[in-house]
Amino acid sequence: MTRLSDYAMELGQIEKDIAMLEGMALVPPVSGEKAAQYVYRLYHRATLTGNLGQLPEILASVDRALRLIGLQEDICLLKAKVHFALHRLREAREDLRVAPLLPQRLEARTLLADIDYEEGRYEDARRSYENLVAESNTWDNLARLAHFRAKMGDFEGADQLYADAQDEITAKQMRAFSWVELQRGLLDLTRGRFGDAKAHYDRADRAYSGYWLVSKHLADLFAAEENLEGAAVRYEAILLQVPSPEVKEKLGRIFCSLGRSQAAERCFKEALSAYLDSAEREEVHYYHHLVDFFVEVRGKPQEAVQWARKDLELRNNYATAAALAWVEYCSGEFTRASHTIARALSSGVAEPGLLAKAAEIYHRVGRHSEAHELEHRANSINPRNRRVHVH
Amino acid sequence: LVKGQESYRKVPRQSFALIAREKGDKVADHNDPNAVNSIFSDIDVSAADVYDLFGFSGDEPGDEKVVIALTFASVPRAGVLDSDILYRVLLDAAPRIVWPEGEGYTLEALLKFTQGVKDKYLGNFRPAEIRVRVDESQRAMVEFFHFPGAGSFSTTLETNKVQEVRTPDGYMLKAFIGGRDDAFFNDLTGFFRSINYAPQFYHVPHTMTEARELPIPKTLLELEGNDLFNYNPAEPLHGHGMKKDLPPGPWTWKGNAFRKDEKGNFRFVYSGQDAQAGKNVNAIILEVPFSFITRSPGAHRIVNTWAESWVAKAAKKVETIPDHPLLLAQPWAALDALVQDQELRHYKRVDTVGQPFADAALSEREDSRQLGANNFWLAPHFVLRLAHLGWGFGPSITALGLKCSFDHDNSPVSVHKTYSNIVAAFPRVKKTLFQPLRMPDDSWNRKGLKIALRRPFEIFVPNVCAIDMDTTGTWPFGRRPEDQVATRFLSMFLDMEAELNGRKYHIEMLNDQALWDATPIEPKTPPNPLKNDKPFLATFPYLTEPSETP
Repeated sequence: MTRLSDYAMELGQIEKDIAMLEGMALVPPVSGEKAAQYVYRLYHRATLTGNLGQLPEILASVDRALRLIGLQEDICLLKAKVHFALHRLREAREDLRVAPLLPQRLEARTLLADIDYEEGRYEDARRSYENLVAESNTWDNLARLAHFRAKMGDFEGADQLYADAQDEITAKQMRAFSWVELQRGLLDLTRGRFGDAKAHYDRADRAYSGYWLVSKHLADLFAAEENLEGAAVRYEAILLQVPSPEVKEKLGRIFCSLGRSQAAERCFKEALSAYLDSAEREEVHYYHHLVDFFVEVRGKPQEAVQWARKDLELRNNYATAAALAWVEYCSGEFTRASHTIARALSSGVAEPGLLAKAAEIYHRVGRHSEAHELEHRANSINPRNRRVHVH
Repeated sequence: LVKGQESYRKVPRQSFALIAREKGDKVADHNDPNAVNSIFSDIDVSAADVYDLFGFSGDEPGDEKVVIALTFASVPRAGVLDSDILYRVLLDAAPRIVWPEGEGYTLEALLKFTQGVKDKYLGNFRPAEIRVRVDESQRAMVEFFHFPGAGSFSTTLETNKVQEVRTPDGYMLKAFIGGRDDAFFNDLTGFFRSINYAPQFYHVPHTMTEARELPIPKTLLELEGNDLFNYNPAEPLHGHGMKKDLPPGPWTWKGNAFRKDEKGNFRFVYSGQDAQAGKNVNAIILEVPFSFITRSPGAHRIVNTWAESWVAKAAKKVETIPDHPLLLAQPWAALDALVQDQELRHYKRVDTVGQPFADAALSEREDSRQLGANNFWLAPHFVLRLAHLGWGFGPSITALGLKCSFDHDNSPVSVHKTYSNIVAAFPRVKKTLFQPLRMPDDSWNRKGLKIALRRPFEIFVPNVCAIDMDTTGTWPFGRRPEDQVATRFLSMFLDMEAELNGRKYHIEMLNDQALWDATPIEPKTPPNPLKNDKPFLATFPYLTEPSETP
């Protein structure tokens, strides 16, 4: 008999728990414990399977639980996490204020630090991450600080923190270990070290088998290595497991490069349709995908601009600023783009992709010396200096 | 233990289970390690939850032997051990400590004693060790380190079977590694009722760390109007598996008297029922020749033992680091210290056990205080905690007409009081800490030697089971399976100088049914059951077969 993968076993257990709680957890008289178990399990399933489309529905269940049992802390925390995953940062922050003592809790403070980061308050986020690590040296807090350091260009420091995080992870948390391996692989990929990235991804796969997220990283790596057939096979396999429009878009891009334009167009249409449907439902988490799609796939920056601006309004951070700058640049608004990209650079973030884009914009507006310096920085991080869209 | 239920001898390791707040996905473009977050309002029992450590001198004739039994959660099930967990049983033979009479019983003397313990355990201290783990096929790998005549060696054993191990220096050990009936017998719910421990009775969101021991006086007798914890005949299962949602605070008590029924009887927080009846554990049970542990069996009459559980790090699992070739190639093989250290680097310590209640009752079950033997730095905390417990239990003992060792100023009812200053707390607990715990008779002193009675401070610091080889090893001279240690622990709060019916108080007094029959209390029962639900075996492995479970 074939052994189930780790992913399949975990998902099976979650499904079993949900089936057991469904139909009773949110039916009066409601037990706060059962209600919390149920809504957490729903969230667990959605995030494990990468099915963000389920999050709004989960939010409705969370609201129902809160109506039935009152402002129970753990459920308020979950509501904040769901809002955070949906890019609803203001709502996430409000959720954490609803239960009086919740903002003081470690779990809430961790999420508040993440919100600070997403809202572009990098100094506040850094301070919070460092305090959290000093207070509670858990693997996830170490990983958060590692991610922050990596974004600021301290790749060696970040890798050491990820290694420290892994040292805190036990054999009972293999998915967590796998996840950190993926982050370490991403660090290598960002620096153009494809072989090292592959080694981390393979290790992630050994740690927790059958996980689509590992496959996705491997496919991204294949794409970066221009192993397009390999990437296509991986993306297609992932889509059998996970209904992800962003993976569909990636597959479309690969098909495009392989000259399979009809297949590519099918993928693009499906991805775009999912993004727009989501936006129509007033969801905001695909805004940045819409920006990339219209600029890079359709070559229609004028259609991207509304999404870029909306996203920036919600999350005023280096990534949304850089995205808008690029849209402006592609629309021929070079001076405006140079001002916008300067905002992104002022964050201190040192991603090769950001630096390379900024260099291109600065060249266009005649700021050649700054552009050369940015190119140099980008190349020193990643000598291959490829713009790899890997998130 | 059932999922989510907690035991007061050892609470399932939240550190370990929190470790199980599994995380690790990436949602959209966030770096969110917690995005995939397992439920944390329920905490699974883990094989790393070590429960009890029994230690006594063997009863069988012949050379002196030490029996040690470590019990832990039967996960994945009784008789099947978790291959990610490593268990260490540590042993150190030493002379019997005699408290110098001139030293007196002062705070300074206590701190000096603690310093002495610290110097020993933090110094160049290399106790003997027996290390056990199982592989995927449930073959037990047993390693022995630092035994005086044999050095270090290892062997592999079958599980669930009594087996003999011949050491390189010719001794014969007995070992049993596998499933057994839980040897602990206690009224779990009663204890949690006595300390107003909310998670036994209520759903307490994990974030609410302040809502565990609620700020209500601890007590052995129910408090008038303590509706959160008093027994309600309409809800007999509340606290026995049934939990309610925790009502909004404040969770304080405004009353001023113990609860009494219409006949004037107090209501006992205990029921005497065995919460562990029918439950199983996994166990490592060893019978070790005393001369194998020490070169000086005549002088080193005390065997200090404690145990630890360690969980493999994820990196070890993913790299599948091969076992040391010697372990696989030979039935027993010599090991060196290097192997020992290398192995432990691949594990994280999760839980420790030495004395019952050293963690649960005296350390407030906080994970950061799971220090095993090295708990000496907690001595000041013990004083503060004991003073807090004393203000709760003391007045209820006095209300029953018994003399109390804790100075509570004759308070008519239990008081919720906490201390931050050891100097203020010490005078209250001085007698409780230093009084000799009188034994009910002399049967414990097998040879009739001049052996001083144990005093609480030396029982709990360091956190080891100190087996006196000249005694039967009954608690506190070790710990035998048949000892009702939960009730003996409560006897610390009795004034051992007092008399009842012409007889001095002793550590078995609260186990005497006659005492309760004569007391205005309901139910009329000793706090905890007097015997295990299944009789223990007269010979090795002493703990009885596991119950059949579905």
